[in-house]
Amino acid sequence: MATGEIYEVFARKAHDEELKHVGSVNAADDDLAKAYAWTVYDEERWVEMCIVPRRAVISVTHDRKHPLCGN
Amino acid sequence: MTTPATLFDSTDAMPADCVTGLHDLLTACADTKLLLGYHYGEWTFGTPELEAAVASCSLSQSELGHVRLLHGILKSHWGEDPDALVEGRSAEQFANVTYLDRPLSDWTAFVAMNAVVDLAVTRVLFATREGTFVPFRLNVDKMLDEERYHLHHGRGWLRTLSQGEPEACGRLVDETVKALVAVRTWLGPADDAGDRALVTAGIKGETNAQVFESVHTMIRQLAESCGLTLPDLPAADFAGWDAASRRIGTRLDEDILYHLRGSKNAIFKLN
Repeated sequence: MATGEIYEVFARKAHDEELKHVGSVNAADDDLAKAYAWTVYDEERWVEMCIVPRRAVISVTHDRKHPLCGN
Repeated sequence: MTTPATLFDSTDAMPADCVTGLHDLLTACADTKLLLGYHYGEWTFGTPELEAAVASCSLSQSELGHVRLLHGILKSHWGEDPDALVEGRSAEQFANVTYLDRPLSDWTAFVAMNAVVDLAVTRVLFATREGTFVPFRLNVDKMLDEERYHLHHGRGWLRTLSQGEPEACGRLVDETVKALVAVRTWLGPADDAGDRALVTAGIKGETNAQVFESVHTMIRQLAESCGLTLPDLPAADFAGWDAASRRIGTRLDEDILYHLRGSKNAIFKLN
């Protein structure tokens, strides 16, 4: 079964903790990605979990695709 | 000014038809969740992708947890023996949605079960979330929280399968309709006295007929959003419907019942 895209999964165990990257899932859509993230990364009692499509992540470090200063 | 609803901490002060109606409803939900747990467990292996295998196993665990919780309520307030509920009843007495009576033939049937049958039981729980039977109300939010991921999984896979070839989409529609018809029978006729008594006493916020309309609408809208058109359901016929088993002359598959029961492993049971 061909699947859609990779989603990065972030979670935290307490409200005063920062969100941490806990892994990723491959899913056809947001609904499936939510179900997969919750069931695959269920080793902790998370108070919050969220997912981000990898395509929405903007790289800050040099990604070697774009030359410096536009040249 | 409205009069506050009477809360029930137990079945003691509850009208007799509510005691019976609620017993039947909780048993029907527990039986359906037991069968959902069985089928999700069976499909831990054989899913189209690894994440779905992990999800299926997880969905099975949460359904079995809910069965334990519901059996606990049935034990505390109706004196039911949780072991006997599984070991001591016949295949005709199991009050599960009949779509779960047989092995699921393929992943399409699994998705119909997940999207329609699981949704229907969850929708029944949702109808009681502000109900007047306190022991159930204290537990329902936890179950609904966990069911959220079941619904995501069902919706996501129905959407995924709807992008297949026309023949596969046709089969998805057929299985979805079969599941809806089975759910309608399970929820029962609109004039069921036990169900009406529960709504009158505030134990449920909606009748089962309203719950079915809601499930039907949700599934029809989901299908339409995927480019699928569900045909009109065949006319309902509740002649011979039994409120306890929620069946009309059907029975659970004996092989499945055998696998559900722990009796074959009774010699290993710790006292």
